[in-house]
Amino acid sequence: MILVLTTGFEEGAAARLVQLPGMAGRVTGLDQYDLEGAGLDHARALVVGMHCDQRRLSERAGMIAEFLARGGRVVASGHHAYPFLPGVGDFQPMPQPTLADLTVHRLSDHPVWAGVEGKDLTFRRGVAGFYGRGWHEPPGDAQVINGIGPDRRPLDFVYRVGAGAVLFHGGNDLTGYGAACDTSGRILPQLLDWISAP
Amino acid sequence: MTIAVLDGGTYYHRETIHGDRYRGWFDRVIYAPDLTVADLDGIDTLIVPDRLSPTLLRRHRDLLNAFPAAAGRTLVVMGENDVPSWLDGAAWSPRPTNFWWWLDQGAVPPHQFPAPDHPLFRHIRPADAIWHFHGVLQPLPGATVLVAVPADAEGRDGGGALLYEDRVTRPGRLIVATLDPFYHHGSRFMPATTRFLDGFLPWLKGG
Repeated sequence: MILVLTTGFEEGAAARLVQLPGMAGRVTGLDQYDLEGAGLDHARALVVGMHCDQRRLSERAGMIAEFLARGGRVVASGHHAYPFLPGVGDFQPMPQPTLADLTVHRLSDHPVWAGVEGKDLTFRRGVAGFYGRGWHEPPGDAQVINGIGPDRRPLDFVYRVGAGAVLFHGGNDLTGYGAACDTSGRILPQLLDWISAP
Repeated sequence: MTIAVLDGGTYYHRETIHGDRYRGWFDRVIYAPDLTVADLDGIDTLIVPDRLSPTLLRRHRDLLNAFPAAAGRTLVVMGENDVPSWLDGAAWSPRPTNFWWWLDQGAVPPHQFPAPDHPLFRHIRPADAIWHFHGVLQPLPGATVLVAVPADAEGRDGGGALLYEDRVTRPGRLIVATLDPFYHHGSRFMPATTRFLDGFLPWLKGG
């Protein structure tokens, strides 16, 4: 079961994900403030969106680390501002970024981004910056999948924690690409498949 | 004015509220899940920043609605907070968001400024309040609309406010917006939102 933290909006991106066709029984929404009481014992994966209360999550960092150690998967989007994920550094902004600074580059293959073109990540409706506006220092053993800017700083990466794994995206919600008409529309179904894969 | 702000613990609340640029404007920062009435002692102005969890706002609805029920107090509620579910008298209609409007040839934003002499506009330029919006508010009669948009072209609503000041429906003051500058400034995404806060916070501070 994939547990998606919701933030109190019936129409929010997390809530919409739960309502997508085929998601019944596969994806369950849980208000972020109910996480402690509900626990993670029955979850395969935890999806943390950009609008989540990271301060509260950082108070539950031990619970998240234990979940990962025993084989759970965590998919997180946003800027890492409170330490709720093991090993991820603080957000590093790009002051007054140019288009070159906001350009997304593929650095390695990963099934979540298979067939997704860089231009469809760099731009949405012609606007650059939705996908990422900075970078994070990943753990040393992370696989960096997409980099941003001329220095190709880490934007998307995946790393192991015990028997589990973290997939981190340092920008707007990955799950928000569900309705995209270009190749970025491949991300959401491929992400759900990756989460569910053994 | 003594200003308190609720902190929702998101990355953008951290950047906008705790970052160097605006931290000095807030006399008290209250972590929203822990809000109690004692936290508001001595506070004249309480800011509910945009995109706070409506779960928390609904939990605190009695306390939040009581705040502007006292003369001399101001409750400021920014956008994307599902106000109809907790703020008494608040009415809001959603609209699809056109975030690429400024790329369209000859684009003219629909924003209107019915009260150009309002003191807020000594602190911000009207252009500083122009960015995409997610819906419109219908203020109660007697409120002063500061930023408005005309009726939706596809008939969803008859127009409404993006920012209004209500000094008439309760003893205190209510300022309600659809605008979401804490999110966008804290995401380092939209310079107009930074210019807006650069003027909006000093206006709140000075009354």
